[in-house]
Amino acid sequence: MNKKNNQTDEKPKKILIIGICGGLAQILAKLILKNHPDWQIIGVDSRDVSRVSNVHGLIARKIRYSRGNFENLFRDHDFDYVYHLARISHSKGSHHDLTERLELNVMGTNRILDLSLRFNVKKIVILSTFHVYGALSDNSIFLKEDAPLRAAIKHPELRDVVEMDQICSTWMWKYQSKIDSVLLRPCNIIGNEISNTMSQYLVNQLAIKPIDYNPVFQFIHEFDMAQVLYRSLNDLPTGIYNVATDEFVSFRDALKELGSGGIPFPMALAPILNNVLKYAKLDIPDYLIDYLRYSCLIDNSSIKKHLGSDFFRFQMKDTLKLLKLKA
Amino acid sequence: MNSGNKLEFFMLDSFSLKLSEEDKKLKDDAFRKLKDRYKDYSDPWGFNIKTVKNAMEMVFPLYRNYFKVRVFGLENIQDNPYMIVSNHTGQIPIDGMLITMAFAIETEQPRVLHSMVERFMAGLPFIGDLSAQTGAILGDRDNCKWLLNKGESILVFPEGVRGINKSTKNFYQLQKFSNGFYRIALQAKTQILPISVVGAEEMFPFTFQAGQIGKKFGLPSLPIPTNLVPLPAPIDIYIGKPIDLDTSLSPDAPDKDIRKPIAEIENVIKENIAKGLESRREFLNWIRDPVNDLLGKI
Repeated sequence: MNKKNNQTDEKPKKILIIGICGGLAQILAKLILKNHPDWQIIGVDSRDVSRVSNVHGLIARKIRYSRGNFENLFRDHDFDYVYHLARISHSKGSHHDLTERLELNVMGTNRILDLSLRFNVKKIVILSTFHVYGALSDNSIFLKEDAPLRAAIKHPELRDVVEMDQICSTWMWKYQSKIDSVLLRPCNIIGNEISNTMSQYLVNQLAIKPIDYNPVFQFIHEFDMAQVLYRSLNDLPTGIYNVATDEFVSFRDALKELGSGGIPFPMALAPILNNVLKYAKLDIPDYLIDYLRYSCLIDNSSIKKHLGSDFFRFQMKDTLKLLKLKA
Repeated sequence: MNSGNKLEFFMLDSFSLKLSEEDKKLKDDAFRKLKDRYKDYSDPWGFNIKTVKNAMEMVFPLYRNYFKVRVFGLENIQDNPYMIVSNHTGQIPIDGMLITMAFAIETEQPRVLHSMVERFMAGLPFIGDLSAQTGAILGDRDNCKWLLNKGESILVFPEGVRGINKSTKNFYQLQKFSNGFYRIALQAKTQILPISVVGAEEMFPFTFQAGQIGKKFGLPSLPIPTNLVPLPAPIDIYIGKPIDLDTSLSPDAPDKDIRKPIAEIENVIKENIAKGLESRREFLNWIRDPVNDLLGKI
């Protein structure tokens, strides 16, 4: 990677960000353009891009995620780097069913990887999630990148997330001599710009909050996560990396920090309640219930080796305080 | 039947859980030291020193006045991290709670021991959370290593469920230890501190094991005792001398090599159990001995 980059360091780069409507993608785009005003970013999304920040150097386009559209995109632009941040989530707002998610997350990712290879992209950075490890009562602490991905054991609806991650890791090692790739598995990303399930859940005063379990969480601020994505281009060699700070906090302490109440409820009964709440569209994703019962903590030693131990700017308390402002 | 013994069995209301002034002071001093020791400590299971205090408030009166715990061998404890290895008895893990209390209250430099609990228990609502907050965590090698590397002492029961859930006729028969604890100790270079608990089997003196039925319900075991509440059996805790590791062994040494030092640890614990059984206090002897004789003949 470094060799390839050093050879062309002078030339402004062209970057593709897939999933540009996401808050994290937009922070990343701004960060890249702040550091490299002469670079060009093409941001694509299947959602309406009219709300994407108007930044000089960023072109946002709405496209249908189809093979043809992606082929055209790669043909028309000679991309140096690709960020694949378009994993379809299982959040409440997501209207995609499992079949659709499998098509987009698994088949779609496969297409993007193949096109990146075919069109000589120098590096591809893929955003996965720590959810692939699964929240299970027998999880040991600080799961390393080679820990088994057990999320789909209890929650088959997460198999697209696990499969996407596995496709990327298999592909990464197969083509490592031809293209650099980085697969990131961050812990809970929270912040004011992004609206993922955890950020929404934490500040929701009407959501049920566990009284019988108190799992321990890791949080990373969205700006720190954007920095990791940005630095993946030059500082992370091909590989899989968990992304988390050294800090952890119990769920109750996190809620205290946020001043967030919620409705106390035994999580042992939450699956039943959640089924009822589905009718009123007030439910939380089923898999999240397990994350509210059992800890799933990830080891960050690999990424620290490359980015340094004092890399993260935001302390856990600050991250939670900033999220409080959102509420 | 001796009338005094009958009274011992039926007049449970004669117990007072109220602590003496001396015990209150002992508890408060111990907690002050614990608070100081753990002021900067946090762990990834949610350890909470306030919950430890609440647990001590609740358990210490039982420790002192209900189970009337006596501790022998306190002089063997230094302020070092240990892999504390104990026999496991009593159907429910009260023995772990009492050993933890002994180390938290009765030692010069109090510590909260981190007991290793079964996967089943760690996943239970309320109980799993409460255990984690008081330092008891899932018995997993990575978890043990993390704690030992942080200078914490851990409490293990290498007999596992086989040890705690025995039928009456098998009481105090030490089950074969698993090897994992010794490999972890070798990795962390931590001394072993052997513990023998005597008396806890009598909390549920007459018990039948319905293990097969338990398995159908996903339970690790299903003891069926004659009493539902643990009886106030007097408990003795024997702390042996620290045992140095056989440093010639690698943590990945074959089982046959690891078994030798483990057998030595088992022997130390067995000897202390035998010693403890000889000098234990009387409790339900009038019925326990005839029943044991009968079971021995079956």
